[in-house]
Amino acid sequence: MPVVAATVCPHPPLLVPEVASGAAPELDDLRAACLAAVESLATADHILLIGAGTDPRTFDASAGGSFGAYGAPSVRFGSGPPVLPLSLAIGGWLLEQTKAAQLPRTYRAVPADTVPEMCVQLGREIADGNDRVGLLVMGDGSARRSEHSPVHLHPRAEIFDATVANALHHRDLDVLKALDPDLVAELQAAGRAPWQVLAGALEGTSLSGDLTYEAAPYGVGYFVASFT
Amino acid sequence: MLRLGSRSFGPGEFAVMAIVNRTPDSFFDRGATYATDAAFAAIDKAVAEGADLVDIGGVKAGYGEPVSETEELRRTVDFVAAIRARHPDLVISVDTYRSGVARQVAQAGADLINDTWAGADPDLVNAAAESGTGLVCSHVGGLSPRTDPHRMAYDDVVADVIRTTTALADRALAAGVRPDGILIDPTHDFGKNTLQSLELTRRLDELAATGWPVLVAVSNKDFIGETLDLPPGQRGNGTLAALSVSAWLGARVFRVHDVPAARQALDFIAVLRGTAQPAGTRRSLA
Repeated sequence: MPVVAATVCPHPPLLVPEVASGAAPELDDLRAACLAAVESLATADHILLIGAGTDPRTFDASAGGSFGAYGAPSVRFGSGPPVLPLSLAIGGWLLEQTKAAQLPRTYRAVPADTVPEMCVQLGREIADGNDRVGLLVMGDGSARRSEHSPVHLHPRAEIFDATVANALHHRDLDVLKALDPDLVAELQAAGRAPWQVLAGALEGTSLSGDLTYEAAPYGVGYFVASFT
Repeated sequence: MLRLGSRSFGPGEFAVMAIVNRTPDSFFDRGATYATDAAFAAIDKAVAEGADLVDIGGVKAGYGEPVSETEELRRTVDFVAAIRARHPDLVISVDTYRSGVARQVAQAGADLINDTWAGADPDLVNAAAESGTGLVCSHVGGLSPRTDPHRMAYDDVVADVIRTTTALADRALAAGVRPDGILIDPTHDFGKNTLQSLELTRRLDELAATGWPVLVAVSNKDFIGETLDLPPGQRGNGTLAALSVSAWLGARVFRVHDVPAARQALDFIAVLRGTAQPAGTRRSLA
């Protein structure tokens, strides 16, 4: 059985209220959109989380996530030591708050510089498994969307993010597969590799996309999309 | 003992460093002292108000218009020479990350190189060593000069700051920088989110325990603004709170915009710590 549902979410540390402190309400709508989209994965038998990381690694359900490195040590989950990279830690933290938290889960870190062909191939392998998998794909758009972005404005950032948003909404797998790693590195978009894994995993499915959030409130592009 | 220029600062003695920017675009003063006359006036005023050091910057710290080395030299070298002539005993610090600038301002009379970008130019220590100036060793979490932090992560931000700044201090020492001229600076906000800068402030005693004199530059920074939800023009009270706690926990040099406020707070803390006497205690004693 292939992929039965997929969700795309962003992974700013700011999503965690204890990290954002008084600024937490500013992302209430994004948090709600993420949780609703993750909830839709509860129909699967197994959740596979995919996000950017330094090394290509798989972590089992016991892997710990913590936000101590961002100043909020009180927020943690998982029985093991906090080994999850930020993208997967945010994914796990979201998952914990939904019905899908009860399902078996696996985390897969994909290095940000993984070439597109390998990402797509990894997606196909995931789809070839026997489980009815729900994919939680973590990824951000460009961190160079505005004058006040963490990394300064890039003239192509907005059109790039619009292209990704459109591809997610219309399930345009060819566009996702064709995202250029060099341009993405320049635009500092953390989601490229995970989105290309998604593109490979969705090939054999008839799931259709629904983009439920698209904004860059702090100059970093955030998208939430569901494939059901 | 910390020795800078003709001045010596013993343990328990607080030194105030006044910020004078020769930039048209710095975040707090927005170019108020870009013009030479305004900059001289600002320095005369700072000295009169009790500043021990002035810190001259020719390049805005954050992202902004590129400033060439030639332009940075134009903004700083003659200016430093003129300050030296006007104020023979004032400790002159120059905020630069370029070794070429460091060498020329040292010749013009600078006593301290404030390398806010943590050794981004590896030759800067040699410039300080050759010219006999002091050197500030800072922590920016691996950022390149003039970039902003994005999702900086530290297992323990204080441990990372101690590791980085003391390694830079050891490197400076090995390169021949005067041991009594080296300071470490945790560099609040640079390569840090607000929670991380707060943690550094809370645990400043751990930095002081390294034995290196600690410089803190908290004045009007974003971590104060985010903590109190206040824009740059309204962070003076928060600045004094952060400065006072830092002083209590062992910081020695304080880089500030508001000299009289800092001087007053530090004079008070010196009495609390027992390193100075009250100005006069008559109340209930006659």
